Amino acid sequence: MIAKKETTGQTPPDLAVAVGGLVLKNPVMTASGTFGYGEEYAPYLDLNRLGAVVVKGLSLEPRLGNPPPRIIETPSGMLNAIGLQNVGVRAFLSEKLPFLMQFETAVIANIFGETPDEYRQVAHILSGADGVHALELNISCPNVKKGGVAFGADPEAAAEVTALVRAETDLPLIVKLTPNVADIAKIAIAVEEAGADCVSLINTLTGMSVDIERRIPHLANITGGLSGPAIKPVALRMVWQVVQAVKIPVIGMGGIMTAADALEFLIAGARAVQVGTASFVRPTAAVEVVDGISDYLVRHGIGSIGALIGSLDIGQPDADR
Amino acid sequence: MPEKSSLTSGEILSNCMVARDHFLMSLRLPLSFAAPLPGQFVMVRCDGPNGPLLARPLSVFGFERRQDHSVLELLYRVAGRGTALFSSLKPGEVLSVLGPLGRGFTVHADVRRIVVVAGGIGIAPLRYLIEEGYGRLPRPENRELRVYLGAGREELLAGRDRLSSACGLRICTDDGSLGYRGPVTGLLEEELCGFNTEDTVVYACGPAAMIRALARLLRDSPLRCEVSLEERMACGVGACLGCAVAVRNAAGKKEYRRVCHDGPVFDLKDIIE
Repeated sequence: MIAKKETTGQTPPDLAVAVGGLVLKNPVMTASGTFGYGEEYAPYLDLNRLGAVVVKGLSLEPRLGNPPPRIIETPSGMLNAIGLQNVGVRAFLSEKLPFLMQFETAVIANIFGETPDEYRQVAHILSGADGVHALELNISCPNVKKGGVAFGADPEAAAEVTALVRAETDLPLIVKLTPNVADIAKIAIAVEEAGADCVSLINTLTGMSVDIERRIPHLANITGGLSGPAIKPVALRMVWQVVQAVKIPVIGMGGIMTAADALEFLIAGARAVQVGTASFVRPTAAVEVVDGISDYLVRHGIGSIGALIGSLDIGQPDADR
Repeated sequence: MPEKSSLTSGEILSNCMVARDHFLMSLRLPLSFAAPLPGQFVMVRCDGPNGPLLARPLSVFGFERRQDHSVLELLYRVAGRGTALFSSLKPGEVLSVLGPLGRGFTVHADVRRIVVVAGGIGIAPLRYLIEEGYGRLPRPENRELRVYLGAGREELLAGRDRLSSACGLRICTDDGSLGYRGPVTGLLEEELCGFNTEDTVVYACGPAAMIRALARLLRDSPLRCEVSLEERMACGVGACLGCAVAVRNAAGKKEYRRVCHDGPVFDLKDIIE
């Protein structure tokens, strides 16, 4: 258990953020697919200390997932092709959610469908449940044959599924975007117009790795999603671009391992961040990011995280910039 | 219920080559680190700038409580970048250790014959099972312990000097450089007909080909057999779903389970090849 830091003689900085109708005690969430249903990490950190937990992607029916091998480490990162293995939305509500409801931490359900109507049905079921504080629409999984990135790579398809779910739920609606597109800002604008309350980005970058001794792909799925420190500069660039393009809040993620990484995203304009692969490396990573952000604000005499978000100084941008 | 898993750091006390490509590392851990159950593992990571990103899963080979600390022993084979880095570390260097993790072997106090089938580095969790799981039970004279230990050739045999002298040790090498010439499952097959299946339990750990051969061998046998599986892992705690193994569930349907959390020990008959 991580003890709360004592900030002696000082008022601790205000870390609370409002993210598309959702008020969080701090801007640090765990990314979907990297934190299970929360219970897996409970022995190592106090879940109460997180801004939100985003659970593993939920589908209408349980999903088997892809055959192994599903992961391979790559330079400064890892590839995964899990294939959205999950217990299904109903089992989540009966078996997994009660555990998470013990904590004073927002629960965000990441949802997935093979068809727009499946997204709508999953959203419907979750909207009637106590203890779910927001939905994150996964239109960006690169590792499934149907659905996923098929909706996220095209502005019209992304808008269609967003509008359908928007009409179904009053919960704050986050749309998670894929970086595997030519212009991510276009997709962000499309889902904003379709009623999304915020966007989160980036999901993994599609990648591949080959076992040269056996001349076979390292992953049974052949390709997988790249995550970890390797993708952080790409993620940060895309977050920056989307922040410029939309009015709704942006949740930044991609390779955040430390508080310093998270601060880069916040300064670039992300209202909140998600910690993903870092939790695999160190189970306590997300809480360390919270503590590190707080320490930074104290060190810089910033009383509230709001004053930091979007404070990037780009000097006097000229017309060509 | 096992004691709680924790994240801690361990100072290397020793780290020596014990056979070609095989190293035995002992780590000094705080007493707060829970005693592992036989078959459990730890996630070990070198936090330095040159190490790989992810921790590496290693089976517990030995564990002992001392007055003011515990000693964790890990027997590992250099198989890639992570384990190569481990093998270069010196006493005094510090690693992060997460564990103990996973569901271990079932120890049957009433069983008469224990058959252990180890392929190569697969001896690591089995040696701890023999010592910790069965070595502490009363009336050892009531039990026969038979260990089939195999490797490609003699120089690759690791861990045997740390097996109790009470083990009926049967060494097998692919090239016949020591003991039986052929796979461990070959010798086991020859000796299997004499087993009283009621009173016997089999434990195994080894390469995929050995596990497949064992599954074929025991397909129609009523012998109970538990195997410890190896798979690449990212988190070690059941979150990433990276270490999937196909099993048949209670309803007879295929599903993927997590080697790290639902295993690493599985009933051989549940595993789908």
